Amino acid sequence: MSTVVKNQLRVCLLSVKYNIMRAMVNRVAFLMNILFMILNNASFIIQWLILLGLKPEIGGYTLREIMLFWGLAASSYGLANIFFARAFSLPNLIISGKLDSFLVQPKSVLLSVITSATASSAIGDFLYGLAIICAFCFSVQRLLLFLLFAVTGAVIITAFAVLMGSLSFWFVKAEVFGSNMVNSTINFSTYPDGIFDGAARFLLYQVIPVGMAIYRPVHVMISFDLTELLMVLGYAVLLSAAAAFLFYRGLRRYSSSNLMEARI
Amino acid sequence: MNAIEARDLSKTFRVKQKEKGMAGSLKAVFRPKLQEIRAVDQISFSVEEGEMLAFIGPNGAGKSTTIKMLTGILFPDEGQVEVLGIDPVKNRRKLAYEIGTVFGQKEQLWTHLTPYDNFRFFGAIYDIPNSDIETRIRELADTFDLGSFLNTPVRNLSLGQRIRCEITASLIHKPRVLFLDEPTIGLDPVVKESIRELIMRMNTELHTTVFLTSHDVGDIEKLCRRIIIVNGGRIVLDDSMEHLKSHYLHRKHKENAQPSEVTLESIITEIYKAQSLQHPEAPEPGMEV
Repeated sequence: MSTVVKNQLRVCLLSVKYNIMRAMVNRVAFLMNILFMILNNASFIIQWLILLGLKPEIGGYTLREIMLFWGLAASSYGLANIFFARAFSLPNLIISGKLDSFLVQPKSVLLSVITSATASSAIGDFLYGLAIICAFCFSVQRLLLFLLFAVTGAVIITAFAVLMGSLSFWFVKAEVFGSNMVNSTINFSTYPDGIFDGAARFLLYQVIPVGMAIYRPVHVMISFDLTELLMVLGYAVLLSAAAAFLFYRGLRRYSSSNLMEARI
Repeated sequence: MNAIEARDLSKTFRVKQKEKGMAGSLKAVFRPKLQEIRAVDQISFSVEEGEMLAFIGPNGAGKSTTIKMLTGILFPDEGQVEVLGIDPVKNRRKLAYEIGTVFGQKEQLWTHLTPYDNFRFFGAIYDIPNSDIETRIRELADTFDLGSFLNTPVRNLSLGQRIRCEITASLIHKPRVLFLDEPTIGLDPVVKESIRELIMRMNTELHTTVFLTSHDVGDIEKLCRRIIIVNGGRIVLDDSMEHLKSHYLHRKHKENAQPSEVTLESIITEIYKAQSLQHPEAPEPGMEV
């Protein structure tokens, strides 16, 4: 690994460590955030148990498989918000001119920005996903695949958030559009793809990246397919490259601000 | 050798305009009006290595926009910049290793961490090995007398202590050029004085080039030997402090004014007033839309 990459990684990990230390300043709030996120996610299991009690299969999936969707979605979203939470508030940083301190540092602006915050409740999301996979459909191979796809899922969701957020360099009003697109990725990821067809299916696979972040990985976890696995990996790399490209193109239009601010 | 070289530097912002009231808001939705603000207009100047320069002007004159173009935060629309021979547009990262920045209105430190942890983080940002960073922190803490609050979270520090830590953090990598944007804003006279001493010591001991913007005449008078005044995005005066004072003193003498009436503050105010008739205050740049 080159020194540049190693040093960049060191700063990113230190940043995440400090974010978590910040969240832990208030110990009770920190633990409650995690606990209530797990409980909040768990409440949806009841909904699926009732539905699957009425009909044994929904969209071609049984309870075990549907839990895979839920588990992977929760862990991917959790990882994205543990390591790259600021990617989801990128438009605000751009519009309010809060990128200055990152621009005067000799590191990747994009990585420094997106790793500069952590949502403590996301730790609950990640743990919940892990617990689901262990409780409903555990096997060593599946757990390893799950961990890999949680990482690719987190990368894809983050890259999509950066892509949408970077539109704010050109259009202030893109903030609402972008956040709707990112939220729809998260919302759709908890439903099995079998219930969607036609235009909705096209949208989920071609426009918002939920197909590559969650659906295909779940297919691979149910029935291993190397080609599909490589497609997911390739897609994660391509989408990240596209997000970085758009962000740095947009950065040329960044106009900063003179607002008073604190790094809190 | 020149530490900073700017040639025909320009930057234009497009700022949204809206007529008053709800009707104005509705109209702006369908027919948005944009006004072009020329924040910096063909500015050229150079700063020698080791020099301490005051770059001042009234609000909206283009000071912050210029400093942001010099540090690689903003991309110039026209012109060229070189800081220590490095183009901030093409080599932002390389330049960042050589410069330090303190924006008095913008905090760079993590407020929940102690200054010590912050300095360790900044050390990592500038690729300083762990063994060296300890020595460097000890060195800076001794020089700037931070020992008593090195392990107190930044949020519990007084404003003066915080600014001292901000300046220390910006020096962790031994920058050759230091950009200070209003470093003494909101500080009491005693703390202001200690910050000025700190900057002065850095300049004499480390030969650091200092590029200072401030509305505080005391900062300018005590630190800088040269002054550039900008207004309406253009340079309206570039002179040595000594020459500026003697020129005004001479002029006032002709007008039979007392020498004690000719202070740097009165000179600057007079220049600002004369200029404000030509260039009314420009709005601060907002987001390009």
